[in-house]
Amino acid sequence: MNIQIQGQSVCLLLVSILLLWTGVECLRFDLEPGHTKCIAEDIKSNSMTVGKYQIVNLNEGQPLPDSHKISVRVTSSYGNSYHHSDNVNEGHFAFHAVEAGDYMACFTAADHKPSTTITIDFDWKSGVAAKDWTNVAKKGSVELMELELKKMFDTVQSIHDEMFYLREREEEMQQLNTSTNSKMAWLSFLSLFVSLSVAGLQLWHLKSFFQKKKLI
Amino acid sequence: MDSRGRVIGCGGAANAALVLLLLSMLSRMSALSVTVSDVECVYEYVFYDGDTVSGNFVVDDQAYWSSDHSGVDFTVTAPGGSTVHTLKGTSGDKFEFKAPANGMYKFCFHNPSSTPETVSFNIHTGHIPSEHDLAKDGLSDPFVLFCINIWTPINVKIAELREALETVTLEQRYLKARDARHRHTNESTRRRVIFYTVGEYLLLALVSGLQVVLIRRLFSKSVAYNRV
Repeated sequence: MNIQIQGQSVCLLLVSILLLWTGVECLRFDLEPGHTKCIAEDIKSNSMTVGKYQIVNLNEGQPLPDSHKISVRVTSSYGNSYHHSDNVNEGHFAFHAVEAGDYMACFTAADHKPSTTITIDFDWKSGVAAKDWTNVAKKGSVELMELELKKMFDTVQSIHDEMFYLREREEEMQQLNTSTNSKMAWLSFLSLFVSLSVAGLQLWHLKSFFQKKKLI
Repeated sequence: MDSRGRVIGCGGAANAALVLLLLSMLSRMSALSVTVSDVECVYEYVFYDGDTVSGNFVVDDQAYWSSDHSGVDFTVTAPGGSTVHTLKGTSGDKFEFKAPANGMYKFCFHNPSSTPETVSFNIHTGHIPSEHDLAKDGLSDPFVLFCINIWTPINVKIAELREALETVTLEQRYLKARDARHRHTNESTRRRVIFYTVGEYLLLALVSGLQVVLIRRLFSKSVAYNRV
């Protein structure tokens, strides 16, 4: 019994430590030299977002050629720049998103002579996935399963919040549609009124003109 | 001796548990949007064959002239080169398939029309660990397996639960993207209603003013004296 429990704690410790192992495989895309590719993600306000990018070395043994450099720019939908790096092979960014909306990460490949396509690995996480679980794991003896369940609890909370957000958006859209509907009704009455008044004005003006000319 | 041997034995079990845990963590989701001018491809790595790859995408073509709703073509290519999944001319759909092999999968969007369109996509590769994974990695020591068995069923259940939650999250993002597209259409309708109507009034006033001016010229003194 005793031995098994000790073995268990060794297992738990090792596993908890290696829980922090993050996979290196990410979303991957190609970039032609001289071109820019932008990837956008919709991020809620007050959420953490973490991104990591690197150029993939397709030739295993040789180092990356110097001409393979990219410039990266991360901007919010209002135009504020949150991350900016020029002529790098790899990098990462992390920031707290105060504004909600579409954040764009734009990758530009420097123009180089042998125009080969650069492959970039890009990992962008935000919200629950970006949360740093290392701090939670280190506090006391947090069991492995407890950590997993904590993660899932956070995921469920975020799903719940997202539901509220979708409900609000639907409410806004409903109001938008109702107002468009009533605007259309008003505008069609107004257009009838405008055309009748224009015709009336025309008639009155021409009548007075012909009376002045003593033709009527 | 004996107890130490046992502890080391369970240390081996720790490795196996680790492997199992890492396997259960190898589920990934990417939720992004790109602008597709002609062809845009993204690659995603699938770790084990038999994994379920699920996802969805929504096309937001900002061109609201009704002739151009052709959507995009979507193709998934397995690492061997074979096409696993194809969708033609859709403006958004869900997809799910079992990965026949592990490796790098290619997800391509092809835009047949000339206007660039924005595609929001989510791709999720999930893995549920099982004892077969352990056997594959060559861990078949009975004592190790005994050590592992105290956890495996719960780990599998937790992995299944996590997969279910990821499915819900995927669905939510799909709904959100569709809602965003719907909203764009509605806002464009509203703008059109207002601008076109006001433009119509101005045009009407202009045309009637032009009419009056022409009629006045027709009846002006220099012309009318001889004619009327």
